Amino acid sequence: MTEKPHEPHAPHGGDHGDGHGAGDAHGHAHGSPFIQHHYDDAQHQFDSGKLGIWLFLAQEVLFFSALFVAYILYRYHHPEIYSYAHKYLDVKYGAINTAVLIFSSLTAAWAVRCAQLNQRRGLILCIALTIGCACAFLGIKYIEYSHKVHEHILFGRYFDPCVSSGGRELLTRNNNCAGTKSTVVWDAGAGTATAGCFADIDQDPRREGVQADCTVKEYTLTETPRRVRAPRNGADGKPVIGKDGQPVTEEVEKIEVTETFKRDLPERCAEEPLPGHGEAEGGAEAAHHAAAEKFPCWRPAYQPAVCKKGVGILVEYGDHEEREHLRIKAECKPPPKPADAGDLLADRSQPLELGVPLIQPRHQLTVHEQHELEAMGPPPEHTNMFFTIYFAMTGLHGIHVLFGVGVFTWLLIRSIKGHFTPDYFGPIDYAALYWHIVDLIWIFLFPLLYLIH
Amino acid sequence: MANTNAIKDYGYPDGPTTEPDFLHVTKGIKSWMLTLDHKRIGMMYLFGILGSLIVGGAFALLVRTELWAPGKTIVDQDTYNAFFTLHGAVMVFLVIIPGIPAALGNIMMPIQLGAPDVAFPRLNLASFYLWCTGAILLIISIPGGLDTGWTLYTPYSLETRTPVLIAVSGVFLLGFSSIFTGLNFLVTIHKFRPQGMGWFQLPLNVWAIYATAIMQVLATPVLGITVLLLAVERFAHIGIFDPTLGGDPVLFQHFFWFYSHPAVYIMIIPAMGVISELISTFSRKPVFGYRFVAYSSVSLALLSFLVWGHHMFVSGQSRLANMVFSALTFTVGIPSAIKVFNWVATLYKGDIRLKTPMLYALSFLLLFTIGGLTGLFLGILAVDVHLHDTYFVVAHFHYVMMGSTLVAFLGALHYWWPKFTGRMYAESLGKVCSLGVFFGFNMTFLPQFVMGARGMPRRYWDYDPQYQIYHQLSTIGAFVLGISIFVTVIYLFASFWTGKKAPRNPWGASTLEWQAPTPPPLYNFEKPPVLHELYHYDDLVEVEEDRWEREAPTEVEADAGHGGGKP
Repeated sequence: MTEKPHEPHAPHGGDHGDGHGAGDAHGHAHGSPFIQHHYDDAQHQFDSGKLGIWLFLAQEVLFFSALFVAYILYRYHHPEIYSYAHKYLDVKYGAINTAVLIFSSLTAAWAVRCAQLNQRRGLILCIALTIGCACAFLGIKYIEYSHKVHEHILFGRYFDPCVSSGGRELLTRNNNCAGTKSTVVWDAGAGTATAGCFADIDQDPRREGVQADCTVKEYTLTETPRRVRAPRNGADGKPVIGKDGQPVTEEVEKIEVTETFKRDLPERCAEEPLPGHGEAEGGAEAAHHAAAEKFPCWRPAYQPAVCKKGVGILVEYGDHEEREHLRIKAECKPPPKPADAGDLLADRSQPLELGVPLIQPRHQLTVHEQHELEAMGPPPEHTNMFFTIYFAMTGLHGIHVLFGVGVFTWLLIRSIKGHFTPDYFGPIDYAALYWHIVDLIWIFLFPLLYLIH
Repeated sequence: MANTNAIKDYGYPDGPTTEPDFLHVTKGIKSWMLTLDHKRIGMMYLFGILGSLIVGGAFALLVRTELWAPGKTIVDQDTYNAFFTLHGAVMVFLVIIPGIPAALGNIMMPIQLGAPDVAFPRLNLASFYLWCTGAILLIISIPGGLDTGWTLYTPYSLETRTPVLIAVSGVFLLGFSSIFTGLNFLVTIHKFRPQGMGWFQLPLNVWAIYATAIMQVLATPVLGITVLLLAVERFAHIGIFDPTLGGDPVLFQHFFWFYSHPAVYIMIIPAMGVISELISTFSRKPVFGYRFVAYSSVSLALLSFLVWGHHMFVSGQSRLANMVFSALTFTVGIPSAIKVFNWVATLYKGDIRLKTPMLYALSFLLLFTIGGLTGLFLGILAVDVHLHDTYFVVAHFHYVMMGSTLVAFLGALHYWWPKFTGRMYAESLGKVCSLGVFFGFNMTFLPQFVMGARGMPRRYWDYDPQYQIYHQLSTIGAFVLGISIFVTVIYLFASFWTGKKAPRNPWGASTLEWQAPTPPPLYNFEKPPVLHELYHYDDLVEVEEDRWEREAPTEVEADAGHGGGKP
């Protein structure tokens, strides 16, 4: 073909002066019916499309580049945020998704090969596999996202891991903690510890709270267990069977149990119930017995349940998630001054720099160790920025995956119709190239977001 | 008459063409709305752009009227903020950026290449509809009183209650329209050159559109992601530009100018391409230093990516960054100066004909020189601290964006108008209006240099009475300018009914589009165009007024190695 003198763009005879109606039909007579009129031949069309898709990919790289620049910038200025926040991401999911996408890149490339060799069944299979992998990727991403939505590990002002999955705050002002956890926070200003679910403290209670030597002295729990019975049929005395095939139950009474323990609770949660409980029989006592199988205990906690509103001792009080209220009183001693504390600790009126450990290590900490140490404590300021970047990057990438699903579905339909021949397989090639860049962007995102250590 | 058979072979006779022209090949509104013909798409862009020009111009005149006297003249402060925002946004995004590339480039560039169409006609139509949707979104933010300035700086754009979200959605779509147009043109120029047309036989207008397209493809996506983040920031508060959540508002400025500085070159480089064509044609001389002019377009395009920081000298950039950006800014002067010197050298001893397009080209030379050199003032760090955000900046960028780009757009419009409409416009009116544009423009913006240097800040609704004389001169000039452009639009459209029929080559120009019939048929050429030596005028003779024909062939040797379209 290249030997032929180039007579481009001349009208091919006079046969098309009319007939170019509203659609300007660009269909051709020779070769594949999908060669458009203004191209010289199939090769010319393929080459033009290929250059076009490469330029589009260049555009895509620039489109994502701003987010990568933002990532680099914030990571450079706030490394502590990244080393703290990455642990919220599950490497397992990220790794599976990486494998899925790389495999789909293979099937996309294989689809091109099948089209070139005119293997129609292979082509359909490869495209279907690519779509399947893309959907699997999106499914896993959905699991990750919904988990973060439940945990309130989100971007901007919605980053608030103190909110429980039920939407209630884990640390509340009223000392009434729903769920199974509560906190004891050392209030440095008052010189006392306040127990319960802590909402806001003016002082930064974080370090002192962590260090406080507290003992939980008293707690009150209120619960409303339901007593139920299964009504029996008056005629034959058999249980009434409901629509779901199970015996019908009905509520007999509500019993409110309020119990106050005044004793030092054991640190570390005991396996056995406290002595003196658990022997009661029948009725409300049986319900109570069930509730008290695992008794309150407490342990220091510095980690994920900790949030910006307060940090202290995490109290676990058994397995009764239906329990409504828990009030805790605790006494705390001021944290002992470490013998080898540095000058920073000498003057307590000076606010402590975040990240400076109370107990000065004997050697200069490396940056990595410093971040490790900080990662033990509460989130650094503006941890939300990590999730802003995370959601912006993975979200935009996810939209590209979704778009890829659309494109490959279109190609699947066309390949089932048998549009693609070794003369005309450009769209498969272009879509595969697009898919490779989507894959490639993920291959950058995975280590940058999930594998920070 | 030279209308002989011998000459007919070279594609120049004005006899009846065998094919209907593109304006009449099909009829009905649907045939326009769904057309894939680059000329029709370009015409639709052109109407959209001229309409936007009138809207943006009306806002400019309202702004100038308000500034006639200190304090309130016609509107209050908030309305004034909306006026200058909409003037800027409409003019930048809807008029100047797409003006030459998307409208005139779409119509003329493939014909200049000797191609039947752009590489991707359907993408071309999609770009047009993206442009329309973006334009509609931008226009409907007008009643909402968008008041952020066209720059949409955070954090104000996150807080204002005006419809930023609608406007940035519009900008996002306009950006992608621009990207797809650029992509289309790059592929067209690479793959649709006829055999024998190497890179250095390309008309300089095509070179300029090529350089522009590089920037459109590589810079605009950054604007896309930036306004996308701004939009998400506004409705989901992700915090990336919000300092209260740990974000960085200056990052927005970096991203914005990473696009918007190249965007300034997206505006000016096609104008330079047009001016090369006009000056060569109306001096009957080859462009002096063709390769330098071509390379300077591309080097301007590349340099444009390295100087965005000079918009942010007072935004808290590091001192080192300021110095680097300042130094790089001066390098932009080199390719710009190469062009200006080469144009002047082209004029030297040329056979200069002062037709309307040439008057615009000469205006461009003067105005661009002023606009470019005042840019160097602003590139000096110490001077910029004084001049930043004053009317000096306003005058500087109007000299470049309006005095250069819009003037070149008007010149190009007059130059190619006969080719794609088939009608000559009223030449005497054209000359009067081009002078009106030139003098009105200078009267508007020269006083702004003075008051800016004396400290009048930009975007202010009120001012100290000492500046009143400059504001009044400026306002009078703006009305002269506005009326001239309005009359221009009127007589151009009137030419559809009153203009005499245009011949194939009314200007004695040498590029390929003048071989095509006037107006061109659907695929532009009845037969393959004959390549002549580029910008070679010796054998072109004026057979009657405004009708030129080629006497004898001066075919260029076929340069098979550079032929496009073939592997």
